[in-house]
Amino acid sequence: MEIFVTGIGAISCIGNNVQEHFDTLIAERSGIKKGSHPHSERFLVGEVPLTNEELIDRFQLKINGSRTGLLGCVAAKEAFSGHLLREDIRTGVISGTSVGGMDVSEIQYRSYMNNGTHDISKYKEHSSGNSSEEIALELGIDGFVNTISTACSSAANAIMMGARMIRSGALDRVIVGGTDALSEFTISGFRSLMIFDEEWCRPFDESRKGLNLGEGAGFIVIESAASIEKSGSTSLARLKGWSNASDAYHQTASSPDGYGATLSISEAMKVANLKPEDIDYINAHGTATPNNDLSESKAIMQVFGEQIPPFSSTKAFTGHTLAAAGGLEAVFSVLAIQHGYLFANLNHRNAIEETKLVPVTRTTKVETIRNVLSNSFGFGGNNSTIILGEL
Amino acid sequence: MSAVITSIVSIGHQDSFGKENIWETLQPLGTQSEVVAPDYKTYISPASLRRFSPVLRMALTAAQVCQNETVLPFDAISVGTSLGCLKDTERFLQTFITATGDTLSPTAFIQSTHNTIAGAISMALGNHSYNMTHTQNSLSFETALIDGLLCIQEGKKSVLVGAADEAIEFLELLKPQVIQSAFPFTSGATFLSLQPEGNGTKKAVMDCSVHFNNTNTEEAIATFLKNNQVDSDTIELVLFAGEIPRTIGAKQVNYEQYTGLYYSSAAFACHLATDYALSKEKYILIVNHQVNGKLGLTLIR
Amino acid sequence: MSELKENLKAQIIEQLSLEDLTPADIKDDAPLFGDEGLGLDSIDALEFIVLLESNYGIKIADPSKGREIFHSVNSLAAFIESNQ
Repeated sequence: MEIFVTGIGAISCIGNNVQEHFDTLIAERSGIKKGSHPHSERFLVGEVPLTNEELIDRFQLKINGSRTGLLGCVAAKEAFSGHLLREDIRTGVISGTSVGGMDVSEIQYRSYMNNGTHDISKYKEHSSGNSSEEIALELGIDGFVNTISTACSSAANAIMMGARMIRSGALDRVIVGGTDALSEFTISGFRSLMIFDEEWCRPFDESRKGLNLGEGAGFIVIESAASIEKSGSTSLARLKGWSNASDAYHQTASSPDGYGATLSISEAMKVANLKPEDIDYINAHGTATPNNDLSESKAIMQVFGEQIPPFSSTKAFTGHTLAAAGGLEAVFSVLAIQHGYLFANLNHRNAIEETKLVPVTRTTKVETIRNVLSNSFGFGGNNSTIILGEL
Repeated sequence: MSAVITSIVSIGHQDSFGKENIWETLQPLGTQSEVVAPDYKTYISPASLRRFSPVLRMALTAAQVCQNETVLPFDAISVGTSLGCLKDTERFLQTFITATGDTLSPTAFIQSTHNTIAGAISMALGNHSYNMTHTQNSLSFETALIDGLLCIQEGKKSVLVGAADEAIEFLELLKPQVIQSAFPFTSGATFLSLQPEGNGTKKAVMDCSVHFNNTNTEEAIATFLKNNQVDSDTIELVLFAGEIPRTIGAKQVNYEQYTGLYYSSAAFACHLATDYALSKEKYILIVNHQVNGKLGLTLIR
Repeated sequence: MSELKENLKAQIIEQLSLEDLTPADIKDDAPLFGDEGLGLDSIDALEFIVLLESNYGIKIADPSKGREIFHSVNSLAAFIESNQ
């Protein structure tokens, strides 16, 4: 069964909507800069430059919850705009998040620890499942809701789950993607792992030291052909392949040989029924940590051998948006197919010595992009790949 | 969508671990009950055990025993958790809130993510297959189960589905303002092996569905049973949490009196259903209505 | 030096939750990492960095520098002595 993408939506430090993202990717302008909150000002981060109140106001949101929920609502609303709810199109929301409403809880908990007082009612935002339920409420969807929480591969897995639900006949149309707000919890967490780069991150560069964090949300609407017949939606691309595999190596690090990543990439190509030469662009996970980029490079080399397609990581534009990354990058993949662009891997100077792989360093217009493969890898060795293709 | 349960293991406040039939030792919980823990050292390597919080220990042990009882290695793992690894989450909050130096202890952060549970299982079992973590408040187990059933439908031969949640003292502060329940917060983990029909001697999960804006439980149940071509007269046992209509099922048992309060306890109800001495041609319905408006329905044969 | 080593062993046991060990189980020259020694891993290496800062005020900015320093109780003690 074919699955079509009929809507895309995005918000991150490089744009409040899809068009702004596209313009910024073409202009090769990173959105990463010095943080503006007490917990982020020591770091270079990709913050969405709008407060929660501004988000609610500007995007006329009905929901007033965690920042994770708000960002999710903005991107999901854009993706779903122009789509109508109908009784005969079973519509669901499947969203990924890593920290859910931690941005709310951590403020209350700090106050509780410091002086014993906190606003108990605020903790109702904490649960990760809430952000997805809020998105469903915002869109008026009362069908299936599901939250995937597999750290940095969450959105890719949400897209995969949506595709499988459609293929099984359980749903006709699903809004899939992910959302994560920057919180002191995650900033402190990555600080404890000592994998921040104090300069701009440099994916796939020999000198890379670590990542810059970001926040945002990316969603796509996927539908079956039967659903499109009823909805009259315009297809933008096809969702052709998906896979998740487990590295089973280490709690945080990827295996040096990229075993789990190799499995997920090759399995996704099998699901899509594509050969290596059919892939015209890889939007890599490319977090710019020494470990991820080497491991991912090896996986790509294993699957593609000598004929490695143009590849890049767009994390130097947005920062690593964690559970949202796979959603934002799915949107970028659709843009690449629609407009025929390979997006720049910013800040790249020298190839990793061990692999000699050189990513696409400038945003480049090409004749045609048939298929894009997008990787998302998470803690716990959770490796996911999705493949989007032309119609 | 249906699958056979070939193995099911629970660790929680009941003395259920390693029992042939968990109904035999079932006791309503007192106010001061604790987890009945097996000797984790038998199941978890010392290197892992020293770091693992209670929810990880419970889940990993239950999953390990499921694998021991299942000949085929799992070709998919799907875990549901409503609040995840709360103890490590709280520990890391305390770590950075009280920190004075530049460095922060990373272990609690690493183990605070929801998928620490499923990830640790893949590592312990050396399992490279599909590995998913679902979190959906009171319907976390059901969404993980739906994924598991989907895996079987797609042709997988041996799927591990589980649910795990842990209580921390802090949760009680949320009552009654954020959470209303007569039951104390508790911890629990239940894992089960699913296989395609024809492989099992125990019970089968026939279907599972979730409803997010439920206003009419009776109607939702009627539709669910109709979709599965099951007559409501053939429901021998209803295992429920929260309010349900009194008109369904020959016998009704509130499973929360045995599990206490955690939001993936429907998995334990699944274990109760699996061990129940069911008459021929009869069915068990699990009605999870722990939270108003949210309804999980699971049909067992 | 030997007092430093004894303190270190107790601190290691606490920081890394090595509940089953006593200081006497940790030999001065035994490798702490890898299968031949205590079987510690990269997460423990980060915990060592925290231990050095909180107990001895020594900062290590680049975790990749840690491997040599954390080889054994002997190497740790020597590093602390020369950096205090």
